[in-house]
Amino acid sequence: MATRLDLLQGTLDLLILKTVALGPQHGWGISQRIQLVSGRVLRVNQGSLYPALQRLETAGWIDAEWGASENNRQAKFYRLTRRGEKQLKDETLQWQRMTGAVARILASQA
Amino acid sequence: MIGKRIRALFRGGELDRGLDAEVRFHIEMETEKNVAAGMTPAEARQRAIRSFGPMEKHKEETREARGVSWIETLVADLRYGARALVKRPGYAALAVLTLGLGIGANTAIFSVINGVLLKPLPYAHGDRLMVVRQSAPLAGQPATGVAIAEYFDYRERADVFDGLVEYHQMNFDLINRGEPDRVDTGVVSANFFDLLGIAPVMGRTFVAADDVVGAEAVLVLSHTYWRTKFGGDPNIVGQVFEMNDRPHRVIGVLPNVPHYPQENDVYMPVLACPFRAAAERNIVRNRRAFSALSVFGRLKPGVSPEQAAGAVGAICHTFTEDNSEVYRTATSGFQSTALEVREALTENAREMLLLLLGITGLILLIACANVANLTIARMLGRDRELAMRAALGAGRGRLVRQLLTESTLLAVAGGVVGVGFAAATVGMLTTFVGRFTQRTGEVEIDVAVLAFTLAVSVVTGVLFGTLPALGTRIDLMAALKQGGHQSGESSGRRRLQGALIVAQVAVSVVLLVGAGLLLASFYRLQQVDPGYRSDGVLSAEVYGNFSRYGNIDALRRLYLPILDRLEGQPGVTSVAITNAVPLSGSAPGTTRFDIEGRVTDDPERRPTTDIRVASPKYFATIGIPLVSGRVFNALDSADNVRVAVINRAMTRYWDGTDPIGSRISTNRGDDWYTVVGVVGDVRQFGLAQETVAQVYIPLAQTPNGFAGRVLVRTAGDPTGFAQVLREAVHAVDPNQPVEAVQTLSDLRAEALAAPRLTATLLGVFAALALLVTLAGIGGVIATSVTQRTREFGVRMALGANRGTVLAMVLRQGLSLVVIGLLFGIGGALAGGRVLSSYLYQTAPRDPAIFAAVAAVFMIAGVLACLLPARRATTVDPLIALRAE
Repeated sequence: MATRLDLLQGTLDLLILKTVALGPQHGWGISQRIQLVSGRVLRVNQGSLYPALQRLETAGWIDAEWGASENNRQAKFYRLTRRGEKQLKDETLQWQRMTGAVARILASQA
Repeated sequence: MIGKRIRALFRGGELDRGLDAEVRFHIEMETEKNVAAGMTPAEARQRAIRSFGPMEKHKEETREARGVSWIETLVADLRYGARALVKRPGYAALAVLTLGLGIGANTAIFSVINGVLLKPLPYAHGDRLMVVRQSAPLAGQPATGVAIAEYFDYRERADVFDGLVEYHQMNFDLINRGEPDRVDTGVVSANFFDLLGIAPVMGRTFVAADDVVGAEAVLVLSHTYWRTKFGGDPNIVGQVFEMNDRPHRVIGVLPNVPHYPQENDVYMPVLACPFRAAAERNIVRNRRAFSALSVFGRLKPGVSPEQAAGAVGAICHTFTEDNSEVYRTATSGFQSTALEVREALTENAREMLLLLLGITGLILLIACANVANLTIARMLGRDRELAMRAALGAGRGRLVRQLLTESTLLAVAGGVVGVGFAAATVGMLTTFVGRFTQRTGEVEIDVAVLAFTLAVSVVTGVLFGTLPALGTRIDLMAALKQGGHQSGESSGRRRLQGALIVAQVAVSVVLLVGAGLLLASFYRLQQVDPGYRSDGVLSAEVYGNFSRYGNIDALRRLYLPILDRLEGQPGVTSVAITNAVPLSGSAPGTTRFDIEGRVTDDPERRPTTDIRVASPKYFATIGIPLVSGRVFNALDSADNVRVAVINRAMTRYWDGTDPIGSRISTNRGDDWYTVVGVVGDVRQFGLAQETVAQVYIPLAQTPNGFAGRVLVRTAGDPTGFAQVLREAVHAVDPNQPVEAVQTLSDLRAEALAAPRLTATLLGVFAALALLVTLAGIGGVIATSVTQRTREFGVRMALGANRGTVLAMVLRQGLSLVVIGLLFGIGGALAGGRVLSSYLYQTAPRDPAIFAAVAAVFMIAGVLACLLPARRATTVDPLIALRAE
């Protein structure tokens, strides 16, 4: 297993938006999914996850609804809103520009 | 978005529960995953919780991410604070009561200050009203009325005012359906009420046409008089009453507002006053004729009070120059200025009220210090709780905020108690302040007062909450490890407690010294020999109205039969008539006189005296001792040689020679009075005032015969003779009013009322401060004893006896008392001067008072320490050590 990396500042919001864009998901599910999809490279700190969810909800990018989980328990499911879709697009674009730029700089050195 | 935030605010509790559920769900899911990975359920759960991290902190951060969290925090703090207080009802009750007293005293004083000093006058133009103030300081006259001719000058030349009106008060008989009623009558310019901005509730007020020669005589009634005498008769306007032998028609009723400068029953226009009319005919010959007017002006827009004062002063300067032989400004210092009516009405009360506010402020400080100390003591027991909350992730700022919320909650509760306390005492306080100003009718606990109370409460809460909160530097490990014991020596807190006690003692000492000085002064004032015997004498005003008793013969036909009738009543030992009774609140007259053979050229340098009218038995009735010569007798009649009796103070003008047999004159030698006797001095004008020169003239020989104060000395209690007195007067003239029936003892008590109330008030405040401070000392020593139980146990196990332990505790308490005492004495020495104008023959640094206060404090301090100290000596060493 590769070393786990803590998330870069500000990337958690993007990852959450992307994760819930794939379908409504609860907090635990979001954290599991990020770890899983990243091949267990990325680790989500619970101390950041719930405040971040709250922040995104307050910003109006995601919505929350109580519903039954896969094992039939009450869980809070988060869903991307229309404004969230736009935000996700913007942030994705920005992320790609930034990583592209960083990659170019690293490549030039090599 | 805003909507969401606001919804979040109101649904805070629901959202919190949601957050809990969400976190619980997360932990459960994690646990299940761990079980699936092969852990035991217990281990799985523990791992899940540990991987989640500090739960409270995460929740707190999530709550903060939700926004508007400070209000929710506040609500949570309030809820938590209220719960914490309910859990310690003793502490809460004591704190609320202490703060309630402190805040209540301030609220009561502020409600008076607000009603007396701060509110604008309750008239439409109340904020722009000025009053003309004339004085002749070099002649010893701090205020002299405005004469008719002077008023005319001001009215003509002062262009800083929208209008200038005159006012004076008279007493006339109003014959109301056959019943005589002596009414206080305000005699005013026709535009008086318009200028002040008072609109009638019924009918109209005066117009210019009411104030011309030949106009119908009209009256405006005060609201109170209309209600009490006419039962609020809705048909009062148009009714006609007899006054000064003329019919007067009521044209209007005033609204229910306080009257300034005096309360009056009725008002009439200027020309209707016969006295003023007579004087006005005389102003060419006598420029200062009828110098009894008050003159009010309304500032023009844009004119400042200072400008108006300057303009009035300049007009006065001109007319004194033009009439220099009348005003003699070089020797009299005659001058004039204008000041705001509100200020003029309250100038005597201002200093007293600010002093009281200062005192109650000090009391509140003591109360704050006390509650701060209580809170510190309580925090010793709360360290674990606070440490626990800190361990669960609450930041230091969060804890301080929690403590401040609790203290403010207490202070606001104290404020509520305080408002009740103020409501109960404000009436008494208003009566007291009424001794210094007429303006007490508007004192009430209104919105402004409540706002003040709220502000004071919050500031108080922050003040006494901050000190203990600053001491919360929590050593987590130490506090938690102690397993239920008080955290150890927190020397910072101990020092803070000591400093608070020292401050409390110092402030209490200042207050006690002040109260002691006032009480000593009051005692000395009460011991003053007034020069007459006030017990057993009843007095009454029997002023014959000028319309029926216009000259000396008519007055004699009224007075002499009354005296004869009273003389014959059983129980009456002697009867007299005079023009004024001692201590009735009048000011001394300043009539200039000449002694035969010593006539001075400058009339302004002649000595002055106060003239009294006395019937023969006056001196016996009132108990003034004869020093030499004789008093009056029946032979001193109008057609016999004119005689006078002088008081001892007046003999100084004879430079040591015997005044008896020499003659004096008050009218430059037109009439001479032979001095036949010298009597003792009487404190006529105030117990604290040195006696002025006085001369007594026989009733039969006064130029106008005006007297009107009947005195009856009785064998027993004189109060029962009021009816006898009334019947005697009405037997002579059934239409003659009898007013102001009072005993001389009552008048004397009245004269002592203001100093008595001042001393009592400060005494009560000082006692309050002492009590609170002693409770504070006791509390701190008790806490300290509890904390040091182990230490005492060890000491006693090592052989210390009870006396040593007792002495240790006493030393600790008394050293604080002594330091506070030193500071307090220093403060009292420095600040005692503010009281000097309230003290009679008592130095502000009276060493006896200081010594007494110090002794009281040492004794009280020992008592306050003794109770907890005794507990220290009962410590069982074994138990104390085992408790470890």
